[in-house]
Formats: sequence, structure tokens, C-alpha cells
Amino acid sequence: MKNNITIIISCAGMGTRLGIGTTKALVDVAGKPLIIHQLEQLKDYDDIRVVVGYQAERVIDVVKNYRNDITFAFNYDYKTTGTAASFSKGLIGAREYSVAFDGDLLVNPKDLKCLLEYEGEVIGGCNPTTDNPVLMSIENGCVVRFSRDFGQLEWTGLAKMKTERLTPGNQHVYMMLEPLMPIKVMKIQTKEIDTQNDYEKAVKWVLNGFSE
Amino acid sequence: MSDYIFLFDLDSTITQKEILPEISSKIGKLSEMRRLTEATMRGELPFKTSFIKRVEILSDVPVSEVNKLVASIPLNKCITEFIMKNKDRCYIVTGNLDIWISGLMQRIGMKNHYYCSKAETKNDHISKIISVVDKELMVKQFVQPLVVVGDGDNDSGMAKFAEVAIGFGGVRDIAPSLIKCIDYAFFSDKKCADFLTALL
Repeated sequence: MKNNITIIISCAGMGTRLGIGTTKALVDVAGKPLIIHQLEQLKDYDDIRVVVGYQAERVIDVVKNYRNDITFAFNYDYKTTGTAASFSKGLIGAREYSVAFDGDLLVNPKDLKCLLEYEGEVIGGCNPTTDNPVLMSIENGCVVRFSRDFGQLEWTGLAKMKTERLTPGNQHVYMMLEPLMPIKVMKIQTKEIDTQNDYEKAVKWVLNGFSE
Repeated sequence: MSDYIFLFDLDSTITQKEILPEISSKIGKLSEMRRLTEATMRGELPFKTSFIKRVEILSDVPVSEVNKLVASIPLNKCITEFIMKNKDRCYIVTGNLDIWISGLMQRIGMKNHYYCSKAETKNDHISKIISVVDKELMVKQFVQPLVVVGDGDNDSGMAKFAEVAIGFGGVRDIAPSLIKCIDYAFFSDKKCADFLTALL
């Protein structure tokens, strides 16, 4: 077990853009709920916190039947707050490093392992693919700016940070990282599920062994 | 170090079994007790009404015998250890009766550290219920910031006034009303105790 890391999976929101009327963590991807895919890749970690809000009881049910040592944190203000509020809720009493992990993100297992085992702070970036990306400008292998307009890589929502450096927020997680830049970036293969189109691509990608 | 005071529900939070059903099974009145307990957990019966009915079911059993049975009930190991290690900052808040739980409270180092319902006895039997605890009113009296741990509908009032409200579902499901007012939920005794330790 890796005992200096706390992993915080944020899945408080609703999957409205996906048109499923359920939280995205529970959407079926190639035969199992998205969150189970994530947890299968986190078997070596023993401090995992799942932040729930919309349909909290359903998410809890699915997760605890898979693994009963998960910490659940509640963010019932998911309609008015961003992922930073959920992430911050999971930070109380967290270990040396905290990892922000969005509940609608699928990551190539090897890439995820690499990022989590990286010695030090690191942000996950990917080639820009989504409709309305937050982009990251990279200099000397580090993220130096987040922007809606330009940048070489897209922000994936995945970051491993020193817990003591983080200040809780309630907008977006990347805004919590901005004052801490530059931060090392690692390019990873991911699929984010926001729309029907994303969903179909993600299913194919998972069936193909988490790769194109 | 934080200023938190830690308040714990007793039944299915500290104990690994539910106290009243456990005792009633020993006297062959489990189904009657179970029905009342379930309805109370779901919030269908006011706690006070249900509690008085449940006490009636056990009224034939000598108080000293119930006290002995309660004192020997299996406990959630890690949560209990947390309480015993941090006696000064922990209190038990339970609807159960003082005359039934005093032995158990002594066993976990919580003698004089609990708030509960009270009854009078005559010839080792309950003669009168003096008060039934209102957990919400109870916690409103604390001036310190509170961490509250519970599992039932009647813990919701405490949860609303806590700085950190925790649901523990390791023994039975967390009541639906409580789920709506907690900040954290645990299903593992150890994980819950680890988290409490981080809040010290």
C-alpha cells in the first residue's frame, strides 16, 4: 500500500450534458460503472475518498459493495460550486500528497500508475480534445498558465499535490493550483465523459485496452 | 491540536450489535423489538414513543441482568480504542437508559462521560422513566466545536449542529435522514477511527 497519498475522487455532480439523469460515476462503461473502473486502478491505495452529492446513496451503495474501506465525503452544494469544493471537502486530514481525480475521467492504467508514483507534485495533461477545454501553457516541462484560449495541453483534472500547499476553494481545482505554479506536467492518455459522443468514444477506448 | 469535542451515538456506532434487539433475543421477544427498532430508524415512529414501547418489552427483565448483558456486548474495536485513548474529549450521547448502560460506559472509560435517558428502579425493575434524551437539544448546549458520529434517524439533530458530522454504516445502514446532513460516511471501523484521529 502507498501510504503517503490520499486520492480524492469527485463525483458529486449530475451528468446532465450526457443526458443520463444519473451521476456520471455510475454510467455503465463496457459492463461496469465508471467509478469501478477507477477503483480497479487504485487497488494499491488505501486512503481513497469519494465525494458524493447528487444520488449520494446510489453511489455509496455501488462503491461500498466493491470496497468497504472508502471514505465518503458529502458535497450537497454541487449545483452552485465547482470541483474545487468537492476536492476541498476531501482534503481534511489528508496525507502528505493529495490527488484530485474527477469522477468522469478515465485514464490509461499505465499512465495513471506513472503519475501517482511520480516523486513530487505533478499535473496530468492530454492533447486537447473536449469542446470547451481548460488549456495549459507548458514551459520547461512545467505548467505555467491555465487559460480557456491557448496552451499546448488540456487540463485533465488529475493532479498530485503536496497537501500542505493547497488552500481550499469552491470554484475549479485548477484555480487552487494557479498560485502554486510552475508545476511539473506529465502527458497522459485519458477520456473524459461529458457528452453522448464522448461516451461512445470512451466505451470503444476502454474495450480497446484504454488506448486508441 | 484542534478544539473538537467528539460525540458518539452508542447503538451500532460503538456496539457491533444493536443493544435492545440483542437483549430481547435472549428473552424471546426479538421480532417485536425488531419491528419497533426498524420503524424508528426509518423515522416512522417518534423516538420517544418508540423508546418507551421498547423499554416496556424489556420491563420484565431485572435491570441488573440487562446491565450485565449490555456490558458484554461486542464493540467496534477501533472506534472504541479511539474513545479510550481520548477520554477527555469524548462523550457518548445515547437514547438508552442510564441504569442499563452504566456497566458498558465504565468498560469503555466513559464513566461520567455520557448523556442518556434516565429511569428509576424499584426491586431491580424499572419503576419510572424520568427522561428520554433529545440529542439535538443536548448538542445545542455545547459551546465547543463538535465532531458527531452516529447512524440513526435520531442522530440527525446532532449532525445538523456539528462542525463535522459523520455517519457510520459499518453495523447497519446509515438512516436516510442522516445521510442528508452528514459531511463524511464510513463503513469500516478502522477507517472511521483513522479519520477521527486525523481530526484530533
